[in-house]
Amino acid sequence: MRRETQNVLLVLLGGALLKLALTGTYLRYVKASLQPWLVVTGVVMVVLAAVAIVRDLRAGGRGHEGDQHGHDQHGHDQHEHAARSTWMLLLPVLAVFLISPPALGSDTVNRSDRNAAQESKVASGFAPLPDDEVIPLTITEFVTRTAWDDSGSLDDRTVKLTGFVVRKGDDVYVARLAISCCAADASPVKVLMTGLDFSPLPDDQWIEATGRVVPGSATKETAYVPTFTVSGVTPITPPEDTYES
Amino acid sequence: MAGIISEVTITGEIRAPRPPRPPARWRVTSLEVLCALLVLALLLQDWLVGVLDVPVLRTASTVFVAICVQAMPFLVLGVLISGAIAAFVPASALRRLLPSRTALAVPVAGVAGVALPGCECASVPVARRLMQQGVAPAVALSFLLAAPAVNPIVLVSTFVAFRDTPWMVAARFTGSLLTAVVMGWLWTRFGKAGWIAERALRALPEREGTSRWAVFAETARHDLVEAGGFLVLGGLFAAAFSVLVPPEWMQTLGSQVVLGVLVMALLAVVLALCSEADAFVAVSMSALPLLPRLVFLVVGPAVDVKLIALQSGAFGKSFAARFAPATFAVAIASALVAGWVFL
Repeated sequence: MRRETQNVLLVLLGGALLKLALTGTYLRYVKASLQPWLVVTGVVMVVLAAVAIVRDLRAGGRGHEGDQHGHDQHGHDQHEHAARSTWMLLLPVLAVFLISPPALGSDTVNRSDRNAAQESKVASGFAPLPDDEVIPLTITEFVTRTAWDDSGSLDDRTVKLTGFVVRKGDDVYVARLAISCCAADASPVKVLMTGLDFSPLPDDQWIEATGRVVPGSATKETAYVPTFTVSGVTPITPPEDTYES
Repeated sequence: MAGIISEVTITGEIRAPRPPRPPARWRVTSLEVLCALLVLALLLQDWLVGVLDVPVLRTASTVFVAICVQAMPFLVLGVLISGAIAAFVPASALRRLLPSRTALAVPVAGVAGVALPGCECASVPVARRLMQQGVAPAVALSFLLAAPAVNPIVLVSTFVAFRDTPWMVAARFTGSLLTAVVMGWLWTRFGKAGWIAERALRALPEREGTSRWAVFAETARHDLVEAGGFLVLGGLFAAAFSVLVPPEWMQTLGSQVVLGVLVMALLAVVLALCSEADAFVAVSMSALPLLPRLVFLVVGPAVDVKLIALQSGAFGKSFAARFAPATFAVAIASALVAGWVFL
């Protein structure tokens, strides 16, 4: 591949990263804390390409005067070898600018039966819940509390969960994905919904569901998926950051 | 691709004026190919989006972009360090820094991995630059394997994930360091320089009258373009595997430790998770005993599809074909030893 082409590809790739970072689309793929690094990475790529382009232009201008740096003949064979892999850089560029893949959703949740109830949080104990009438909780926290909190702190409390609709067989769940670094390590957290007719809600529809937990429903037998008796459900627009952490 | 004329120079090199060409002849160069591809992609955008609008492909493409986006900052960090070594660290300084006996230098390089806070993508360009600057391959490889797994960021995230079993951090550190050192020694004893592609070892030509910053920028740019392509290739494989590996793999294992160890080692290879995130994935597989999960954490940063792609790009296919399976076996053994000691 020609050097000019490589530089164009680098500018495109750096531009793609900057676009993701500056428009907020990056939240579909990675954690929010990566944003400044994506900006720096995009800028470094563009600058490296720009430096090379400027130097080539200058060298091109001087070129006719004589062979000032004539020692690169052996470089050609080496470069042939690396040339083909460089074309791969075009794939993420096209994916970001043309396809812009969506955030992970119900398909990922249904790929696995595990519910990422976080055992590790048990040791640090559970903070007391606020006295509000309706307590907004992340699904991770809800699942963890129902599975591991023996004090029954959620029993008889009305909780509001935010997530998307997932269907498996006849069961309808409200689910989220938790990521610790990027979408490749997403693990699903889900809650089985009962009590209403959920058939009007399509898969992947974002909802706010209020209701109460069925005490003792998150056990090893149910793979720590608690049952949630829903009293009200409202369709909402997806939040900017769809993942829990 | 054969018709494409390649005129680019090697790492760090300043471009020579092009030899005069017959002006009338028009050739298809990669630049025209790129333009054609971009135009074609724009024209076919709707069709492409339609084809990819299947749940499985949507998931795979999201995972693919996620892996690329997540790894690029680390790769850029790696190529900047690599460029800095090429431009500012004379080979003699590295030689003074490391013990002259390779057998001793290997563990030193392994421990030195603590100083490179990044995941595995950063360490490949750095290790290659170290080799070019005259560091023994065994020593550079030991650094390559240790750096992604023993640096503070990875250890802290492992500690956070495994708060209930803090021994996991010690076990992971030991297992990974052991892998790196054993592989370094194995390479000292059995490795052949011929396995590493000649281009990876060729010393940089001395440049006179070129500013060090120019060398820095050119080396970093060259490494980025080259390694970036292989990183994308690795991301493509990892994304494909992430939707192809049946999830039952993990569920049916339960208490079968031997099978569990093997499957988790394979999963670590095909999922190609970032070493800073794999601990959180491992902790969520609570159905498995700790030992297979430790194997997952030790194998992942040492050998995965993304790394194999990067290594075959940096050091050549015949290197990767030997190094990756050997590392796989050594990493499993090291993890088992570390698990036996700590867990």
